[in-house]
Amino acid sequence: MVIEEVVLCLRDLKKNYGTKNVLRGIDLTVHRGQIIGYIGPNGAGKSTTIKILLGLEGDYSGKVEIFGEEVTEKNIDYKRKIGYVPEIAELYDNLTAMEYLTFIGELYGLDLQEADEKAQRLMKVFGLEEVYHSRIASYSKGMRQKVLIISSLLHNPDLLFLDEPLSGLDANSVMVFKEILAVLAAQGKTIFYSSHIMDVVEKISNRIILINDGKIVADGSFNELKEQNKEGTLEQIFNQLTGFNEYKALAEEFVAIVQEV
Amino acid sequence: MKNFQTLRFLDLFRRLFESFGINYTVMRKILAVKLTMDGRRTPTIFNQQGKKKKKPEENGFIKSLGMYVFISLFLIPVVIFGKNYLFQMSIFFGIVMFMVMTSMISDFSNVLLDIKDKGILQTKPVDKKTISVAKTVHISIYLFFLTAAISGVPIIAGTFKHGIFFLVLALLSLILVNLFIVVVTALIYFFILRYFDGEKLKDIINYVQIGLSVSIAIGYQILGRAFSFVDMNITFSPSWWQFFIPPIWFGAPFELFLSHNTSVYLVIFSLLALIVPVIATLVYIRMMPSFERNLQKLTNNSGKSKRKDRKWKSWLTSVICRSNEEKIFFRFADNMMRNEREFRLKVYPALGLSLVFPFVFMFNAIQMNSYAHMVSSKWYLAIYFSSLMIPNAITMLKYSGKYKGAWIYKTAPIQNLAPVYSAVLKVFIVNLFLPVYLILSMIFVGIFGIKIIDDLLVVFVTAILYTVICSNYLKGTLPFSESFEDAQQSGGLKVLLASLCIVVFTGIHFAVTFIPYGVTIYLVLVLVITIFAWKLAYKTVWNYKNNEMEY
Repeated sequence: MVIEEVVLCLRDLKKNYGTKNVLRGIDLTVHRGQIIGYIGPNGAGKSTTIKILLGLEGDYSGKVEIFGEEVTEKNIDYKRKIGYVPEIAELYDNLTAMEYLTFIGELYGLDLQEADEKAQRLMKVFGLEEVYHSRIASYSKGMRQKVLIISSLLHNPDLLFLDEPLSGLDANSVMVFKEILAVLAAQGKTIFYSSHIMDVVEKISNRIILINDGKIVADGSFNELKEQNKEGTLEQIFNQLTGFNEYKALAEEFVAIVQEV
Repeated sequence: MKNFQTLRFLDLFRRLFESFGINYTVMRKILAVKLTMDGRRTPTIFNQQGKKKKKPEENGFIKSLGMYVFISLFLIPVVIFGKNYLFQMSIFFGIVMFMVMTSMISDFSNVLLDIKDKGILQTKPVDKKTISVAKTVHISIYLFFLTAAISGVPIIAGTFKHGIFFLVLALLSLILVNLFIVVVTALIYFFILRYFDGEKLKDIINYVQIGLSVSIAIGYQILGRAFSFVDMNITFSPSWWQFFIPPIWFGAPFELFLSHNTSVYLVIFSLLALIVPVIATLVYIRMMPSFERNLQKLTNNSGKSKRKDRKWKSWLTSVICRSNEEKIFFRFADNMMRNEREFRLKVYPALGLSLVFPFVFMFNAIQMNSYAHMVSSKWYLAIYFSSLMIPNAITMLKYSGKYKGAWIYKTAPIQNLAPVYSAVLKVFIVNLFLPVYLILSMIFVGIFGIKIIDDLLVVFVTAILYTVICSNYLKGTLPFSESFEDAQQSGGLKVLLASLCIVVFTGIHFAVTFIPYGVTIYLVLVLVITIFAWKLAYKTVWNYKNNEMEY
């Protein structure tokens, strides 16, 4: 069969917190090997979508399928094939990297030796072998982020959710990580990449989805979006589609206030 | 990661867990991680840069158990002297419940209210049941050690005295007591979580934590009064309100079975002791999922906040602060102390207690003599007991939940740190001590009459002097610059020494009341000493150059 494998499928996904509608009908089908840039302004519903996909949020309406299986409370096995880097670097930072990573690896079903060996080698690649046995609490922001990235990949997942994964990384590490993503995608992994940094999204994604106010307002490759919107960069397209055009005026006002002393 | 003895013991029940459909291997791993983390204090980044010697890895919790065992020694007489089971065991359970519950609220709320777990564990292939059972077992392990430390020795002593059946009853009751405590705590949180959200919710939880700690302490005083000490044979007159005092329920079975006293009240109390925890647990289990859901409210923040204009505060700032820097830090410290929940949680219960303490001592005086006798006596000096909270509260001033923000001290253009200390201490006096003092003073004037106003003024000035003395605890550390996790419980000895100071002050005050005009002269004297001490401390103890400060 030539039909592309569907990894993820959302049908009319709606979610509200009380009277506030966060998601107002999202329809989305993602195929194997795609790198999806998932963008949108603050509060547009990006994180909520990801949380629903990971089974962190319930009480939504619509259909959510991952690897062809419906996401339910009972069904946890699909999570074995998922890796997740959360936006806020939440980890048990009283543990050492070794303790944390082996723990996470074991939760994904690796055995201790395997997880330990793998984690140690990955840490080494990121230049962190020396702090492998130090507590994460003492790490810098970039180091923590690297630990999070390793923890999301230890179990060789098929689908990756990355929420602002580059935060705190230095330029060299960013290059390494971008390359990692490209190689992973080429090997058929699917990556769901959510970020506010448009330049990066523009470069790494082969499909960009822009959501605004709980709805998808643009969906396509960067070139397709460029043609539709007649703008040069993703940032400009973003501004245009989210109806934001006063950035110059705001910047001038800001500087004017700074200068009044 | 160590292989915990506790977990090895738990391995014996592996089958049991598995028969409930729990993934035991995963649960064990989660527990191992949790126990490892409990055993550690986060090293602060500042510490790692070589300020203190590295502490060896020690489990603060295990250490604090020693303290509980020590306290439990005082419970031995309560359990073994006499055969008035209802009275003795109610006191015993009252104290045990008090200790367990306060410890639970102050140290373990973060486990009940944990939201990190969700992001880290639920995104992994682990089912919810296993996660919640792991949480339950984690709390149980903690409660087991705590309860064992507090009640172990007295129960063993009691078993020697009262026989093996006592042991059986005691173990059963303790299990029920613990269930009761966990569920009650969780249900209270649940109801708050249901109706509020975000920051507001955290505030309310904070105040409930504070209120609970205080009210348990007061309740424990009431318990002692539930019995009249008219003759040496303690008599117990059952009445309806005792239904509301849980320790009495748990004391009742002992009277019922060991003294064979089959009063209807005792039977009902015993049944309550059995049924209430079980029902409460069932209710809790049913509510657990919606509790978890509501827990998410802790993270989101909706609703606008408005800032109250506090005119009198700004007036006060301009009156009591000299330099501009001092004013800045006065406002800063004022905001920090009022807004920081962790700080409030550590300090406010002590404030509540210091409000109640003087009366506890006075009640004892009334019990010994009469009310009229007490009013004409010098018992108003009991107000000094309210100063007992000062040393502890001052040690807390150097901690903050957001201690990492302390880099601003370094980057801000400040030369000398003395204004920082004096501002913080002024805020402490105005915000924390003054309200307690004013309330107490009003009540005391009501009881003892206007004649004690002189004395009350002395007490206030002494408290300021005492604050200056206690400010030594802050030496070498900036306010709000260290993690609460570094707060050592072993500060006990220092605080004890400081408390002795209060005894001395009270003694001097008591002595001068015998001298004609003694109090007035003493007031002037204390005032002069205090002003002098404040200035001296400003130049010595608090006087750091900013760049001398080690971080």
